[in-house]
Amino acid sequence: MARVLILGAGIAGHTAALHAKKQLGKGHEIVVVTPNSNWNWIPSNIWVGVGKMKKEQVIFPLAPIYKRKGIEFHQALAQTIFPEGFGESNKPFVEITYTDPAKSGQVGRIEYDYLVNATGPKLNFAATPGLGPDGHTVSVCTAGHAVEAAASLQNSIEKMKQGQKQKIAIGVGHGTCTCEGAAFEYAFNVEHEISAAGVRDLAEIWYITNEYELGDFGVGGMVFSQRGFQTTSKLWTESLFRERNIKAILGAHVEKVEAGSIHYELVDGTKDVLTFDFAMLLPPFRGVDLKALNKSGEDVSSEIFAPSGFMKVDADYTAKPYEEWVAEDWPSTYRNPSYPNMFAVGIAFAPPHQISKPRKSPNGTLIAPSPPRTGMPSGVMGKLAILSIKELIKNGDLAKVPTASMADMGAACVASAGNGMTGGSAASMTMYPIVPDYVKYPNTGRSVGDTFGEIGLAGHWIKLLLHYMFIYKAKARPGWSLIPE
Amino acid sequence: MENPNESIAHAPLPTGKTLRFRKNPVIQLWRFAAINLKMINMIRKGHHPMEKKGK
Repeated sequence: MARVLILGAGIAGHTAALHAKKQLGKGHEIVVVTPNSNWNWIPSNIWVGVGKMKKEQVIFPLAPIYKRKGIEFHQALAQTIFPEGFGESNKPFVEITYTDPAKSGQVGRIEYDYLVNATGPKLNFAATPGLGPDGHTVSVCTAGHAVEAAASLQNSIEKMKQGQKQKIAIGVGHGTCTCEGAAFEYAFNVEHEISAAGVRDLAEIWYITNEYELGDFGVGGMVFSQRGFQTTSKLWTESLFRERNIKAILGAHVEKVEAGSIHYELVDGTKDVLTFDFAMLLPPFRGVDLKALNKSGEDVSSEIFAPSGFMKVDADYTAKPYEEWVAEDWPSTYRNPSYPNMFAVGIAFAPPHQISKPRKSPNGTLIAPSPPRTGMPSGVMGKLAILSIKELIKNGDLAKVPTASMADMGAACVASAGNGMTGGSAASMTMYPIVPDYVKYPNTGRSVGDTFGEIGLAGHWIKLLLHYMFIYKAKARPGWSLIPE
Repeated sequence: MENPNESIAHAPLPTGKTLRFRKNPVIQLWRFAAINLKMINMIRKGHHPMEKKGK
């Protein structure tokens, strides 16, 4: 009997947990450790952040699901991995500290045969002074943050209804942020709500981002085939900004936020200030505070984790210039090279480099969108880790594990641009592959036929469908496994 | 670096016809089906785990 320990219960971790139980059956133990008691369908936090959904519509408690499925659940924070065991024991384990109110602060250890690290990101608001809910901006990264964002936005809308002008700033709060798509969605949902409130003429809306061009989305932009022409996500996104009268600041690294002002530096080295009445800026991510000790108690974190705090896997981490990046740099098994019984999936794995071209200002400031690896790819990786573990349990050293590189994986993305069954809209996009492969697709790095974008009400319906479908799946209702990741 | 707002100001502006197309429930029902098919195709490509490789 093997014990599979899964750290984290977001999209990657929870997908892994459910598939582990289904694939490995009753003969093996599945254990989940996560500091949160609830599962959160994060893509719909955007709608909570504009007051169109309640927090309860995007979260549900994990414990009853795991109890029903026979998965052992510990509401706790993973703190130290002992991949070789410790002292006399050769059995690997993870030291945890409970966040469960009933055991709060208690320390425990959980042994494992296979470890799936799906701890997601640490929201690194501290990287930018004044950023975040404890500073001067709001966030939609968690359902709780989104509730606060909605209240703050409503306050601005009330002021506009009283005739006061409001300056709205939405975007990312550091030069190395990811998830620009989420910031984009929030900007357009806010614009939609302000228009619906009848006060659009009193709002000046700015989008501030580390993307060098609009439509980059951290993946270096896309080339679409549309009505007999090839067009770019840049032109397409600019058109939407023009239509909805949203202004943009591009290639920006936010240095600090003060009450009512965002201080930023651009790729060309110039510095400026954007004033605001309401601001939602996403934080940069880094790996969670997890360390690793060897059998003698020596810290081997630097061997297991990249400097960003994310776990190293089977990627090529050799430092090389952008021009030399190739699709093969990207991992395909997500196994840690030092300890192959450890996997890192979703945001928790260390990417070999960005996808979008990184840039430095003349002052040496790195302005480089980090690669997105949320949503569909996260779910695929979570399932892949379990299929690999199943194969390893069955065939041991002779096992042939499945592979799924982001350079050979497509993604579908729906970016909301406003909520409403008849008045809503969203940008529906697909791309293949996620990481451009200029050997297979010399001109654009991606299959133009499979890379597509369209704006309209249908996109909103799809996003709503995905909301209900993925919550159904995550609740492990009958037939859940038929719904793809 | 060009001023992005200059670039935005010269981006294609959708006509009234395009905006109506994007909101028309009948047309959008058709687009809903078409986009879903494209996405199913993409999901299929995203889920082909895949060739197996030795340990």
